[in-house]
Amino acid sequence: MFKNYLRTFWKIASQNRLFTFLSLFGISLTIMFVMILSMTVNKVVKGSGPEKNLKHILTTGRLKVRTQEKGGNEVFSQIERYVGEDYLKKIKSAEHISMFYSYTWEFLRNGIQYTTGFMVTDAEFWEVFDFEFVQGKPYTNDDLRTQTNLAVITEGLKEMFFGDVDTVLGKTIRFHDYLLTVWGVVKDVPPTSQNLLSGLFFPYALFPAEKPNPRSFSPYSGPYTIAFKANSRKEFSAIRRDVQSVIQRIDAADPKLALVLAGPNTQMENLLAVHDPEDQEGPSAKSRKYLLWGTIFLLLPIVNLMALNFARIRERGEEIAIRKSFGASSATLRSQFIFENILLTLIGGLLGVLLSFLVVALLGNTLSIPVKAGTTVPMSFSFDFLVFGIALGVCLLFGLLSGVLPAIRMARMKPVKYLKGGEI
Amino acid sequence: MIKLENIRKTYRTQSVETLALDNINLEVGPGEFVSVMGPSGCGKSTLLNIIGLLDEPDQGLLQLEGNLITGYPDKKTARLRNRMVGFIFQSFHLIKELNVYDNVELPLIYRKMPAGERKKRVIEALEQVSLSNRMHHYPSQLSGGQCQRTAIARALAGKPAIILADEPTGNLDSTVGKEVMNILTDLNKSGTTIVMVTHDELLAKATHRIIRLFDGRLVG
Repeated sequence: MFKNYLRTFWKIASQNRLFTFLSLFGISLTIMFVMILSMTVNKVVKGSGPEKNLKHILTTGRLKVRTQEKGGNEVFSQIERYVGEDYLKKIKSAEHISMFYSYTWEFLRNGIQYTTGFMVTDAEFWEVFDFEFVQGKPYTNDDLRTQTNLAVITEGLKEMFFGDVDTVLGKTIRFHDYLLTVWGVVKDVPPTSQNLLSGLFFPYALFPAEKPNPRSFSPYSGPYTIAFKANSRKEFSAIRRDVQSVIQRIDAADPKLALVLAGPNTQMENLLAVHDPEDQEGPSAKSRKYLLWGTIFLLLPIVNLMALNFARIRERGEEIAIRKSFGASSATLRSQFIFENILLTLIGGLLGVLLSFLVVALLGNTLSIPVKAGTTVPMSFSFDFLVFGIALGVCLLFGLLSGVLPAIRMARMKPVKYLKGGEI
Repeated sequence: MIKLENIRKTYRTQSVETLALDNINLEVGPGEFVSVMGPSGCGKSTLLNIIGLLDEPDQGLLQLEGNLITGYPDKKTARLRNRMVGFIFQSFHLIKELNVYDNVELPLIYRKMPAGERKKRVIEALEQVSLSNRMHHYPSQLSGGQCQRTAIARALAGKPAIILADEPTGNLDSTVGKEVMNILTDLNKSGTTIVMVTHDELLAKATHRIIRLFDGRLVG
């Protein structure tokens, strides 16, 4: 039976080249976009390079601090250093906890202006993230007890700062008023990373700890993100519970200010801005919005293919009538048509997958796609079972949705109409 | 074998209602070769379509080999059609995307016959119509006579009890038409019941019985 279906499919596809081209064009283009988006988001969510264990990491979201009185003010930020050091880093449910922040850094070197990133971290940062050291080693708490002006740099910054030299360990880098000694060199951070930047890393211990300013609006607000690394995802709920309980303790002790901390979140939750206190829509409204846009994006090519299929039914009237005359039931014809349509969409899907590889390979460095509001990352290659599953799922959805209604109509056709031209 | 009682069929368009068959009572015995004659539009093809379960009468009863056909679900009707009836059409109605072998195999596929048995039957049927040397050809590569012989092979591959032939020689020249008629006569001699629509008096006279239709009624 399938051999017969396949032969009919192949003949019809090769004889109706315009239809086949139009169908494949629509499907492969859509699958290409789906693939590029899902590969890039997958790369961001799954992490790569130093974030290869991202699936075991939670990071704090925004902290909302609000005055208790009605109509009071509120501020959104990350966390102040002492909140991390005195409270959140003391949580026992995580394997490693690190606090850090990052900014961009512009510097002049040999008359050339460079822009790179810098990250202010603790020693645990190197335990939470898996950097690959090409020279030297990470700074540890022991190192920092004797010397705080240590720096780890990425290969890119080494190139910018020192040019083509072999070893840079022990050389110095001036960062504003600080002279930092290079302690290690790591591989560059992939541009898809949402937590890390390539460039310079140095300990926050370089800066003296300050008491919070009692006159500031919120003594809890600062630049730090806290990352919690767990042994397994099963520990996430305990970490979340412990973090929220610390925040509630701080909140309860302060009669003037109310604190709400988002998360800590997985990378996917951060992308979807789930539980972000600044987010007015809330996670369900946001999910609905994404779902709506996704549906519209997929629906257009499905409707297009469905219209093409409806148009083709008439062309195949005689074939359907013949098949019915010799014993095909409506159900058999429906499955034949859906089989053909799914085969067509799978071929289109395969083309789409190949196209997406080609586009990412050729334009991956120059084109970026938005992964969340205000954040774009370069198109990236990340093909795994999940991405394959998404592509296959979309193909099957395509094949089924665009094929079912035309197949039902096709199978309902009266054969008499097409045999001997419907003559009585 | 075939029994029709008070069969009536009308076709409706938006403004016109056409009476295709009116009060048809007919019996065709096993092994009979019956021809149906009448002017164009008199209901000959409709009669064949109703006997072949391709169309349903508005009223009346149809029996095929003792089975009363009434309100059968699509699947059951399809199975009956597959096992009991073989069609031969004036314009052949071969699937142009399939070669001779695959066209002839079609009814056997829907019967879910094992592949080995199917192959045997297809080759047997093609040999019966002297077309086994053309089995890999496509309909577009065949002459009219070869197309009709393929259609006959397809109709008889499933060894149905009844063959319904709707003007099987209508598109063929007289020599090829005679060949086709000889094949049908041989088939009938081997026990197959045949109902054949034709305009050709000579061909009709070669059958056991002639049924004449006029304006949807049996007139002889």
